[in-house]
Amino acid sequence: MQPIMVGANIVKSFGAGTERRNVLDGVSVRINAGEFVAIMGPSGSGKSTLLFALSGMDSIDSGSIMFDGVDLARLSDNELADLRRRKMGFVFQQPTLLRNLNVLDNIMLPSMRDNRKNVAQIRAKAKALMQQTAIEELETREITQASGGQLQRVGICRALMSDPQMIFGDEPTGALNSSSANEIMALLADIHRTGTSILLVTHDVSVAAQTERVLFIFDGQIAGEYRPGPYDAARDDLKTRAEALTVWLATMQF
Amino acid sequence: MYYRIIRNDIRRNKAVTLTTMLFVAAAALLVALAAILVVNLVGALDTLMTRAKTPHFMQMHAGELDQDRMATFVAQNDAIAAFQVLEFLNVDGAQLVFPTRSLAGSMQDNGFAVQGEHFDYLLDLDGNIIQVADGELYVPLTYMQDGTARVGDTVRVAGHTFIVAGPLRDSQMQPMLSSSKRFLVSTNDFAALKPFGNVEYLIEFRLHDMDGLGAFASAYTAAGLEANGPTLTYPLFRLVNGLSDGLMIAVILLLSALVLAIAFLCIRFTLLAKIEDDYREIGVMKAIGLRVGDIKQIYLASYAALAAAGCLLGLGLSLVFHDPLLANIRLYMGASANAALAPLLGMISVLLVFLAILMYVQHVLNRFRQISPAEAMRFGGAQEQSSGGKYFRLSVNKLLGVNLFLGMKDVLARKTLYATMLTVLVLATFMTIVPQNLYHTIAAKSFITYMGVGNSDLRLDLQQTDNISGKAADIAAVMEHDDAIARFGVLTTKTFHARLADGAEQPLLVELGDHTLFPLTYAAGRAPVADDEIALSVLNADDLGLTVGAVLPVLIAGQERALTVCGIYSDVTNGGKTAKAAFTDADAATMWSVISAELVDPSLVDATVAAYADQFTFAKVTGLEGYITQTYGATIRAIGQAALVAAGVALTLSVLITLLFMRMLVAKDRYAIAVMKAFGFTNADIQAQYLARSVCILSIGIVLGTLLANTLGEALAGAVIGSFGATSFAFVINPWLAYLLSPLLMGVATLGATIAGVWDAGQISIAEHIKE
Repeated sequence: MQPIMVGANIVKSFGAGTERRNVLDGVSVRINAGEFVAIMGPSGSGKSTLLFALSGMDSIDSGSIMFDGVDLARLSDNELADLRRRKMGFVFQQPTLLRNLNVLDNIMLPSMRDNRKNVAQIRAKAKALMQQTAIEELETREITQASGGQLQRVGICRALMSDPQMIFGDEPTGALNSSSANEIMALLADIHRTGTSILLVTHDVSVAAQTERVLFIFDGQIAGEYRPGPYDAARDDLKTRAEALTVWLATMQF
Repeated sequence: MYYRIIRNDIRRNKAVTLTTMLFVAAAALLVALAAILVVNLVGALDTLMTRAKTPHFMQMHAGELDQDRMATFVAQNDAIAAFQVLEFLNVDGAQLVFPTRSLAGSMQDNGFAVQGEHFDYLLDLDGNIIQVADGELYVPLTYMQDGTARVGDTVRVAGHTFIVAGPLRDSQMQPMLSSSKRFLVSTNDFAALKPFGNVEYLIEFRLHDMDGLGAFASAYTAAGLEANGPTLTYPLFRLVNGLSDGLMIAVILLLSALVLAIAFLCIRFTLLAKIEDDYREIGVMKAIGLRVGDIKQIYLASYAALAAAGCLLGLGLSLVFHDPLLANIRLYMGASANAALAPLLGMISVLLVFLAILMYVQHVLNRFRQISPAEAMRFGGAQEQSSGGKYFRLSVNKLLGVNLFLGMKDVLARKTLYATMLTVLVLATFMTIVPQNLYHTIAAKSFITYMGVGNSDLRLDLQQTDNISGKAADIAAVMEHDDAIARFGVLTTKTFHARLADGAEQPLLVELGDHTLFPLTYAAGRAPVADDEIALSVLNADDLGLTVGAVLPVLIAGQERALTVCGIYSDVTNGGKTAKAAFTDADAATMWSVISAELVDPSLVDATVAAYADQFTFAKVTGLEGYITQTYGATIRAIGQAALVAAGVALTLSVLITLLFMRMLVAKDRYAIAVMKAFGFTNADIQAQYLARSVCILSIGIVLGTLLANTLGEALAGAVIGSFGATSFAFVINPWLAYLLSPLLMGVATLGATIAGVWDAGQISIAEHIKE
């Protein structure tokens, strides 16, 4: 398999002087094209920091990150922004939507940045995605008029507008109830089936159990790797996969 | 702890803290100066008028004086404490020759006087009554100040030589607003000069009780005593003496209010930005049970320190700067009796500024009450509700770029937030345009028509001379045959008596002639054309209670004729109480004549003025431009400078407030900026969005400001002009300046400030603001 993302010896520290601490302490990670990977670990272990570093949203002190064959360190701020807009998609724990814009406008926003002349085309695509994620009735609603689960779908629609090569999710189900969380995971699984790579940070064992590979991070280092393999909701029992993952996590002192 | 917080705050925002402190210092300085000046001005004015024993009532009179009748009136009136008649010898300015220049062409009525016998003393600079010796001349302070005369100079007056012995303080004719100036000579010298000028009498009274002034003035009029000239009273002398310094104090007070408002805005924006910065921490403090009052103390400490430092600096500077500003008051009026009170009042006023700032900070900090600990800890900022622009949608937008759209959308959605910046920009535009328009209006030659003077190229004034009618006819005859003169008109002012509603008679100065040749701008109605028409000055119309169409009976050639009021005009000449009519009456006494002329080639005005001045030495010949310069030149220059200063202040204000506002906005929008950056918006995109917001507010601000300037501004300026006597006027606008250069400057300054304010907006760390 071709890697879509390769991080090597990534070091990232916070604080100053004697209080300076390496949050990422020589992390190396490789995500293959079309792979669905979860990062797990205790609070403060560096999960989210790794995700933000890999997506170019946060700088690193040393090491290297290659995305689709491009060294992120060589890109300017503007080139990094272009890369995020055109090849990456993001879903966060909070919906991260702009309150001034309604639901449809929020979804269309990043695409309109590049191509406002094709507004009809962009609108059609946004509406198709909304239909696909079952939120078509929210089109003209303000974001204050939607539930948490609906807003997370809005976030996913926005992430999919540019047909990204990779989606980054930072606890995308963290603020949702279990039913909404399952719906979001089913959506991500559908997206994954289209060949999009997905990298998730999660605390939730049942979420991680739906991915192909789980990286366990501890004290800023990758402490272990677990491969439950591809998940098929129709075929596999999620509870069994989750229990197996829990057992493995226990060996990691989690 | 407070010390550490204050130190850290200052370190983090050195430039903003310093700017705010400087504005506080400037406000404190100006308020303290105003207080110190008021105390000194009032005190000095009292000292001057007490020492000079200024008359309580004075009637100027040109013509014969019936001494016996006057003595009878004085003997019968118990209200009079002292009475005297002084002579004012009016001499043509050309006869007064100083080493540097003569007073030819001076618009002032320069004359000689002797020292008052019982009161109305002319004082030296120590406040003592001047004892003048033969051959000595004491010169009005104004002429010493402008360099016309110096002590020891030799002055020639109509063949007599005088030595300038010193300057004099004159409690009634000193200010430039007063149109006469008294030179003090000895009784012998006065007698020697008498054949060279015209005597005007100053009939002066001091009363036992100033409260009876109104009743006394009525009694004087009712007695039908000499009244061929203006009547002046003690309150008017006091007003005129205090006016120029009073105006300076008023300007300082206005400036201090403006600067204090700027300081408040600075504090508001920096404080709001700080609250946004510390939103999460404030939420945490509330969550762990700290009272709002406790949290406020922490912030209040910083601003109390800043305000205290600014106020102390301002107070210190006021003690340094008050001397030069007091110099004028001290020079013209002498020292104030209650000068010691001044610094104390200055301190009290600065203390009030300090307290006002603390109260304002307290008021802004009341926002803490609205901070929800849950929201603050969850989102790290206030979750504002969108308040508009719902139908302004990106999904149907084909015209605007995304950044421009987002900028405009934000303005529509958060209107109340942008209201402050909009208000500042509207005010700044207003402040730039109105004084400019006012300046162009006053500086325009046509403005003189609002002031009671027709718009001609030159005018010849015949006053204080004999056979005025004959001399005017001589000049007219010459003009008739002068090819350089396109047209001319003779207006002669004569004294008549109007019959009032109660049957009493009142003297009325009426200017007779053709008033359509060089017309005035009439506040109402038009110029008189028919023999039975009369136009009245605003002051006269108000005094007589008449409007256009009313009938005024006037005694003409011994017969009462009903004249219809056909027009009302503003006038600042001759005390503002004038009238104009087209009838003729050869019998009435001529007061003065004015011959106005328009030249074929207006560029030859200087040569023509010189030629007529040579030929008719008895006339005061002036080009209208020169007349305007001499009469209102100082005012025009002052307003021109004020317009420049106002534009400078407005621009500075726009820049400062925009800068601070944008800093606050960026602090407030950190989360939204981080979101946009995460989804691929560049730093330039973010800056472009803020610029779009600025352009949006700026455009509305400039349009609103310009509209207000030409409506409300014109009305306000009308009130200012009204204080000069003109009541109705329209702005003369320089469109390049008002509609192009000013908005352009404002735009460049504001956009520059926006760019500076949002320069690092895109540098916000995504991870810091989005990471859970």
